[in-house]
Amino acid sequence: MIAIDGLSKLYGRDISALDDITLRVGRGEFAFLTGASGAGKTTLLRILLRQELPTVGTVVVDGRDLSALSARDVQRYRRSVGFVFQDFKLIQRKTVFENVMFALRILGVPDVQQRRRTFQVLKWVGLQHRANAYPIELSGGEQQRVAIARALVNEPVLVIADEPTGNLDPDLSLDIMNLFREINAAGTTVLVATHDRELVRHVGRRAIMLDHGRVVESS
Amino acid sequence: MIRGLQYFLKEAVSSLWRGRRSSALSILTITIALFMLGVFLLLSANLERVVNEWSRSAEFSVYLRDEAAPAEREAVQKALAGDPAIGGVDVVSKDAALERFRRDFPELAPATVGAPDNPFPASFEARLTSSSVDVVALGKLAERIGAMPGVADVRYDRRWLDRLAAVSAFIRYAGLTLAGILVLAAGLTVANVVRLALYARRDEVEIMELVGAPMAFIRGPFVCEGVIQGGIGGALALAALWTVLAVAKSRLAEAAGGMVDVQALTFLPLVSIALVVGGGMLVGCLGGLVAARRLR
Repeated sequence: MIAIDGLSKLYGRDISALDDITLRVGRGEFAFLTGASGAGKTTLLRILLRQELPTVGTVVVDGRDLSALSARDVQRYRRSVGFVFQDFKLIQRKTVFENVMFALRILGVPDVQQRRRTFQVLKWVGLQHRANAYPIELSGGEQQRVAIARALVNEPVLVIADEPTGNLDPDLSLDIMNLFREINAAGTTVLVATHDRELVRHVGRRAIMLDHGRVVESS
Repeated sequence: MIRGLQYFLKEAVSSLWRGRRSSALSILTITIALFMLGVFLLLSANLERVVNEWSRSAEFSVYLRDEAAPAEREAVQKALAGDPAIGGVDVVSKDAALERFRRDFPELAPATVGAPDNPFPASFEARLTSSSVDVVALGKLAERIGAMPGVADVRYDRRWLDRLAAVSAFIRYAGLTLAGILVLAAGLTVANVVRLALYARRDEVEIMELVGAPMAFIRGPFVCEGVIQGGIGGALALAALWTVLAVAKSRLAEAAGGMVDVQALTFLPLVSIALVVGGGMLVGCLGGLVAARRLR
C-alpha cells in the first residue's frame, strides 16, 4: 500500500528531516510510526499527505507516485485517503453531521446517499446523537471521533493519523485506538503516528521507529 | 452543477452575513462607484437628447445669388436634401424673407418700403437631424455647398455647435474615466473584503484542501460572494440614481429656467441598467477571483 524508497528530505542545504528511508506498509496492515519529537514523523506524514515533496527518493501510495501528481491528482489522491489530525481540523461553523458529510459532498455523491452514509458512520463512532452539535460543544474525544468519521465516510483504502490521541487522556486514547483497530479489521490499511510508546505496546501492532530522520526499528 | 451553485450561494450568503460590516463597506464602495457611472450615463444620455434638440434648432442657411438660375437652385436644394445631416429644407423666397424681416423687426419695416429693390436674398434653411453633432462633416458640407454656382453665402451656428459637441464629449469621456477609476477602486475593495473573509476562514480552507476539495469548490463561494456584493451594489446604485432623478425633476424645473425641459429627463435605458448591474457583478466577480487566486 505504501512503498517508500531512499526517501530523504532536506530543508535548506543541511537540515535533514528524513535520511534515506526505505519501508513498506502492506495492504490491510496496521502500523505505528513512532519516535520522539523531531524524529521526522510529521515530515513523513506531510509527504504522505502530499503537503511536501521528497528531496530524494520515491513515495508510492496505492500505486500513485506522489512526486508525479498534478495539482488535480493531489486532490483526487487526498480524497482517496482518510487523514486524522491531532487537532481534529473540524470546521467550527458546521455541525458534526455537516463536517462528516462535507467529505462526501466534494465527491459529488447524491444528497440522499450523503445523508445515509454520514448517519451510518456517525452511528459507528457512537455520535449519532450529537449530529446537530457544533464541534465546540464536543469533548476532545468526541471531536476526534468526528474527525475519524470524516476520514472514513468515503471508504478510503488507507487511513493515516497524526498523533490522533495527542490531546486525549489515556482512557479516551484507548477508545480511539479501538476504533482504528476496527477500521483495520474491516480491511483498511492504517498508519498511526504517535510518540506514545505505551499506547503502541498496548495495541501490539507493528511499530516503525524513527530517530533523527532514520528508521531505526521496524518490528 | 446546480447543486454546486446552490452550495456556493449558501456559503457566500452565510459568509457575507458573518462579515456583514466589511461586506456593507464593500457594497457601499461599489454602490458609490456605480452610482457615479450611472450619473454620467444618465447625463450623457440626456445631454445627447438635449444636444440633438438644440442641433435641430441650429440654423444652416444657404443664401442664393439673385441671378441664380432655377437649375442651380435645384442643384443646391438636392445637395442639401441628400446629405444625411440635413433633416429637411425650407425654401425662403426673396419676398418671404422681406416679409419675415418686417414681421420680426416692425420698427425697421418702414425703411424697406421705399427701397427700389428687395435687398433680401432667397435662401434655403436647412434643419439638422444629426443624432450627434458632427461639426467637421457640417463644415465640409458648408464648403461644398458654398462652392456651388448660384450660392452667395452659407451660414450655420458653427461656434455654438462646436461648443455643444465639445461639452458633450468632455462629459462623456471625463465621466467614463472617473467612473472607470471608481469601478477599479470598487473592484479592489471587493478583493480586499473577500480576502478578509478568506483570512477569517483560512482554517476552513486548509481543511478543505487537506480533504482534497477541488479548487473550484474552495474558490467558488468566495467568487460568488464578490458577485453578490457587486449585484447588490449595482441595484442600490440604480435605486439611488432613480431617487436623485425624481428629486431633480421636482426641484430643478424652475432653476433650469426653461433652457432644459427637466420633466423630459429620462432614466437610463435598459442596456445601461443591465450595464450597471452586470458591471457590478463582473467587478465583484473579478474582485473575488483576485482574492481567491492566491489559493493554489
